[in-house]
Amino acid sequence: MSLIASFEWSFIWENRGVFLDGLWETLKVSAIGVVGAFGVGVVLGAARAHRVPVVSQLAAVYVEVIRNTPILVQVFFVYFGLSEPPFNIRLPAFTAAWLMLVIWGGAFSTENFRAGFEAVPYRYREAGRALGFGRLTTFLNVTLPIGGRIALPSSINTSISVLKNSALIGPAISLPELTYQAYSLESVSFRATEIYFTLALIYLAVVWVLSGLIRALEARLALPEARRVRTRRQQRFQEAV
Amino acid sequence: MLDFSPAVSFYRSTKARGVGLSRQAVESSARVAPDAPVPSAGTPAVRAEAIRKSFGDNVVLDAVDLTVGAGQVLVVIGPSGSGKSTLLRCINLLEPIDSGRIFFEGQEITARGVKVDQVRQRIGIVFQQFNLFPHLKVIDNLTLAARRVGKVPRAEAGLRALDLLKLVGLEDKTRQYPHQLSGGQQQRVAIARALMMAPHVMLFDEVTSALDPELVGEVLIVMRDLARSGMTMIVVTHEMQFARDVGDHLMFIDEGRIVEQGKPADVLDHPKEERTLRFLRRSLQLAESLEELTVGEVESHEEGGRE
Repeated sequence: MSLIASFEWSFIWENRGVFLDGLWETLKVSAIGVVGAFGVGVVLGAARAHRVPVVSQLAAVYVEVIRNTPILVQVFFVYFGLSEPPFNIRLPAFTAAWLMLVIWGGAFSTENFRAGFEAVPYRYREAGRALGFGRLTTFLNVTLPIGGRIALPSSINTSISVLKNSALIGPAISLPELTYQAYSLESVSFRATEIYFTLALIYLAVVWVLSGLIRALEARLALPEARRVRTRRQQRFQEAV
Repeated sequence: MLDFSPAVSFYRSTKARGVGLSRQAVESSARVAPDAPVPSAGTPAVRAEAIRKSFGDNVVLDAVDLTVGAGQVLVVIGPSGSGKSTLLRCINLLEPIDSGRIFFEGQEITARGVKVDQVRQRIGIVFQQFNLFPHLKVIDNLTLAARRVGKVPRAEAGLRALDLLKLVGLEDKTRQYPHQLSGGQQQRVAIARALMMAPHVMLFDEVTSALDPELVGEVLIVMRDLARSGMTMIVVTHEMQFARDVGDHLMFIDEGRIVEQGKPADVLDHPKEERTLRFLRRSLQLAESLEELTVGEVESHEEGGRE
């Protein structure tokens, strides 16, 4: 306790604006990353699960490349590598950051949703087809709602990783998000302990909120089977009372 | 008896006026066959010519012919693995056939360029495992296809769904999820769901085989009443009494071939073929021996009690 008490907490409070600016940037870039990763995952996961020719193979290569290379290498390529000839694509740091998060999270999300869609029993899709649904209608009304629910728990992990990876990308390409701001502050103040302790607490809080949000979504969308378990428990509780 | 004839004729008449299933659906059903002859009274609802289907080297259906007149009930029996279910799935185009032709109301539906999805809207199917959408309430299970495929407004589809749920005796279950219902109730919902698209033919694929014995009756009654209301039906079943009471024609299939067919009572009581006889005897024997087994058990228990 005395160790923590010896920290200069007033220093953090005085520089709260720096942290808040960084947090705002982190939230913006991560929000785009998380939502974008879901979008990429649903589309490419569907292509993989339904073995759409060409798209499915390209998606498989994409997933392999992203999953098996370090994200720092990926972000350096997108930010610096693409800015040189023959590409000459100079992306602003913010754009490069969210794009990288979407690409990275999308690869993992593709696997989540592929597994989810493949877990949907064929007989439900067949029931849709038997009612005269076309392929897209069957996907949107049967496979997506059932398989999407199956994919949600693993999507929590992916979303958390997307958010945490913003801390790698920020310092790498000088995007003033939370970690970059903290790092800059430390390099002028040398109060590493206070700064990084605070930084960790902020990330912890944000990740908890994010996973709580997805869990709330999961509970709201829970299939009636899962919901029934809870109802039974409630019933038993009511009977006991 | 539940009377489905208002439902069957209601949907036929509203469909003709372009109200029930929406004008688009009616037009699209016409679009299935632009040059198809108008089905006359004599045109069979379903006709299959020499259909053949194999999975790899395994021939599941071999030169099967069948004809079902409008309003008729064809019952298909046979040992498991004989190709009965595949036959139904081929008629509904859920399985492509290798060769042969299938006609629906005079039009060949196995021809190239036929809009498969639109054919399926006219041929309802009910599965052994119900296959209700687990994420949708009963009412939405019924209305989904009408809303998404028929483009019927939700309120209108809901009213029709409620009518059908009343007919199968489940109007109080609209807000339940499938898993909150018994197997028999789920199967009745599945029948109502198939009827929502106003099909001209209904296919039943061993719909009582997954049910507890005491729930079989409620489903069979719904099917019987549907048949009496004039629905054309092809029923794959192991319920011989149902076959006898409701069927107009009975077909015994084994190893992908039609072994014997005729009036249900004739085939069941006086089978001409040895294989049919063996199959029927085996089903009966099984029933009897199980009965003996349980009777014996009960007696021994009683004896034990007396001592």
